[in-house]
Amino acid sequence: MAKYSYYPGNAARQSCLEVEDTIQPMSSSLGIQLIEMPGYSSDGGDVIKQSNKFLQLVLNARNFAIAEENGHDIITACASAHGNMSDALHRLQSDAGLLAEVNTTLEKTTGKIFSGEIQTHHLLHILVEDIGLDTIRSKVTNPLDMKVAGYYGSMMQREGFCAKDDPFNPSYFEQLIEALGGTPVDYQSKTASVGAPSLLTLDKPVMQMTAKVLSQAKAAGAQLLVSACTLSHANLDSYQNKARKHTGKDTNLPVIHLSELVAFALGYHVDRFAQLRTRALVIGG
Amino acid sequence: MTIVAKVWIEEDCITCDACADICPEVFDITDESSFIIADVREDGAFNRNETKSPLKGDIGAQLGEIIIEAAEACPVEVIQYELADSGQSEAIEEEAPVAEVEVAAAPVSASAPVVDGALASVMEGERELVVMFGSQTGNAEGLAAATAKKASDYGLQAKVVDMDGYDLKNLAQVKRLLLITSTWGEGEMPDNAEALWQSALSASGMNLANTHFSVCAIGDSSYDEFCKAGTDWDEKLSAFGGQRIHDIQLCDVDYEPPYLLWVNEALSRIACVDESGTFQVELVDSMKEYASGSADDVADDGDFAPGQVQQSDMDISFKIFRYDPATASTGWDEFAFSIPGHATLQDALLAIKGQIDGSLTFRTSHVTGTNPLTGIKANGRIVMADTVRVVDLCTHAMELKLEPMPGHEVIKDLMVSYDEWQQHRLKSKPWMQSDPRIGDRLPNGMPMGAIPAAEATALHAINAVMSHQLIQGMSDCYDSDSKYRGPGLNLLEWARSQDPRVGSKQRKAIMESLQTHGGVWDEADLSSLSRHGKSGQIAADSLYDARSRLLAEFNFIGRPGRLAKNYARSVKSSGNVNETTLYRTVLGPFGLASNIMNGVSLRMLLGFTRNGGPIMRGFQGMLVPPAGIGKIPNMFNARIQNHHEVVAIFNEVDTRF
Repeated sequence: MAKYSYYPGNAARQSCLEVEDTIQPMSSSLGIQLIEMPGYSSDGGDVIKQSNKFLQLVLNARNFAIAEENGHDIITACASAHGNMSDALHRLQSDAGLLAEVNTTLEKTTGKIFSGEIQTHHLLHILVEDIGLDTIRSKVTNPLDMKVAGYYGSMMQREGFCAKDDPFNPSYFEQLIEALGGTPVDYQSKTASVGAPSLLTLDKPVMQMTAKVLSQAKAAGAQLLVSACTLSHANLDSYQNKARKHTGKDTNLPVIHLSELVAFALGYHVDRFAQLRTRALVIGG
Repeated sequence: MTIVAKVWIEEDCITCDACADICPEVFDITDESSFIIADVREDGAFNRNETKSPLKGDIGAQLGEIIIEAAEACPVEVIQYELADSGQSEAIEEEAPVAEVEVAAAPVSASAPVVDGALASVMEGERELVVMFGSQTGNAEGLAAATAKKASDYGLQAKVVDMDGYDLKNLAQVKRLLLITSTWGEGEMPDNAEALWQSALSASGMNLANTHFSVCAIGDSSYDEFCKAGTDWDEKLSAFGGQRIHDIQLCDVDYEPPYLLWVNEALSRIACVDESGTFQVELVDSMKEYASGSADDVADDGDFAPGQVQQSDMDISFKIFRYDPATASTGWDEFAFSIPGHATLQDALLAIKGQIDGSLTFRTSHVTGTNPLTGIKANGRIVMADTVRVVDLCTHAMELKLEPMPGHEVIKDLMVSYDEWQQHRLKSKPWMQSDPRIGDRLPNGMPMGAIPAAEATALHAINAVMSHQLIQGMSDCYDSDSKYRGPGLNLLEWARSQDPRVGSKQRKAIMESLQTHGGVWDEADLSSLSRHGKSGQIAADSLYDARSRLLAEFNFIGRPGRLAKNYARSVKSSGNVNETTLYRTVLGPFGLASNIMNGVSLRMLLGFTRNGGPIMRGFQGMLVPPAGIGKIPNMFNARIQNHHEVVAIFNEVDTRF
């Protein structure tokens, strides 16, 4: 069984509990053991580093040190969390002086030290590269049987952050959707940002960015959009009416999380999946 | 070289003579059809060669390209051929024409060509040329390097010299000097030239009577003091007694064409300065001829090939965006051909333009490979066509999808307009406006323009990007708001504000500009920049720094300020983010009302996100403390385990939260 230190991110145990509802049984079916990180804190999102980069690095280093105590790399289902952690990790692992400076503060305040040995992974990359599409395909009991568009976002689509997938023309989501019995839908803005970090501060541009992703996915025939980012999910789902009002574009599309997609196809929460399928058939592209 | 192994004629030849006109050695026209001549075929027959008999000996190599030319000229496309290596017959397809495209090989250096008697008198003895540069952004440095490389064609041994740290006294020993400098801000020297210029201003008794020189000045004609640094040096070198061997060249933003004019003439003339320091003007024409001949020798007789640069050929499928302004129509063209992996994207585009479709339009650079306007979107990446290699773009598939730079108006095909960029730039006035000066010194005693090396390095690091226009194209939201100046211009402004020579009034104006609409808070997601390689990362890092400074200087005002402060306080108070509280404190009552009116709150309440999860979760999102009133309560977040550690980190690193 593959073991990972599980970092839920800022949303999975707050506003997006459906992620927590599905990632646990999904992981169990696929032989992934999610090991809790006792006392983990927020990674700081894209926000704390705006006022203090060093503070964000120390908070992340504390989480990394906890994962090291677990003895396992980190896994998360949120592209923003993965992007932020990967960025911090890269800075600490590539600059010994900075790592030493951060560790001085970390040890003084928490008694912990981060040696720089662990890595962080996104669930999507683990599913495709480590678990394998054949294994996933063999465990599907409730095929998606829908046209599904994957949303990667921009946070983790960067060289070194997205495993062996292409940062700018990725295909892991499409491969996974096919393995789960769905029909993958390709569309141009699948790695474009929807402006999640500025959801509360910029109205017009963020709604335009959100509408662009939703409308392009729907125009390409998607009945359902799946987000690899639990933060961007708020833009894509809760704000889609507002995005439509701002732009006049057709944004009406069911949006779910990656872990939900996999769990549904593996046979979990059949009632939720039935409700989702109905919505997709009624309003999807 | 293209080698044709076999050539034959399909049915339906209209005997138009085109092939025989182009290649009479292979094709002959009869009343019935074009035939392949017996003498060039291994089977010795004279017919259409339906049996595909191979060509004799090295005829396929000698005439390969002409045969292909004839095949392409055939109006009914009945001439078919097979290349020696591929074993595949060539056929023109409508959607993906296959073409053999030749791209310049990796650079090689040359052995010296033979010198005739007339030039021998200047070519003997010491041949040193000093190419000195003053550069702020690297353009002048790039031209200096290009000049030095070209100088070998003239039998000169060039030495590129950075003005920074150069001892002015040594200039008197230099017989041949080419000086290339940009102008910084309002007619000031680039940072690396400032100290030398100060030395020149205060120098007395300098005698450059034995120094022949010419100056190339780079500038921007939108400034009052266009190319002033170059003209200052030109006058100063002349005042020291130097011999101006060629007139100063003033270059505007598109500096490469005038630079090329200057460098060819200046090198031809300065190469005719002999060992004694005498300019032999009568040899200039011979020198030009000699140099052009040596250029041929570079290709033919190069004795050094840097193997690590060369990459094997790659079969690439190109998909290129096309826009025709005459008909306002858009579409995609597809080409497939083989190209060396070491070729740049610009090499590939030039090859397509030269050999497949002459109407393809795009920006190029011709000299240094640093034209900041050659930005293109290639396979989703924002890159400069003149510096990125094809092999680095095709890492996952042998396909290249090329689109114009996003966020800019398309003029034609891959060429975009930078007019809007320029308008925003002129409005933002990012050039230097220092405090009043006393003579050539600031009131604090610092020499005008000179700053300590460490500060200069840090200043350069802030915006050491390949192209600010490229940074503009990386943003995913630049085209969402017409008032947003974009990350490239904001980066320029931020870098200017960090220059210690900037006047306090200008610095205050820049910070206000960055803080308000159009400034750094209008970039919705800096990760859209940082994922675009080193330049994008530098820009994003600098803009994060700008935001940090603005938060501190403007005391966390506005929505960005409230978000930063309350987010941090939330993490400090529990270890995690309390989104419910954040919404209320950041949006305020009007923002919340907007969410209610626009259906956001209703959508949360009705539980679309829950996909059938417990309904109480939807209601939970609606529980509110009064918006923006009081301290953040510890509402729903339980404190994390060892929460005191997080508090200790905050207290140690940043006590503002």
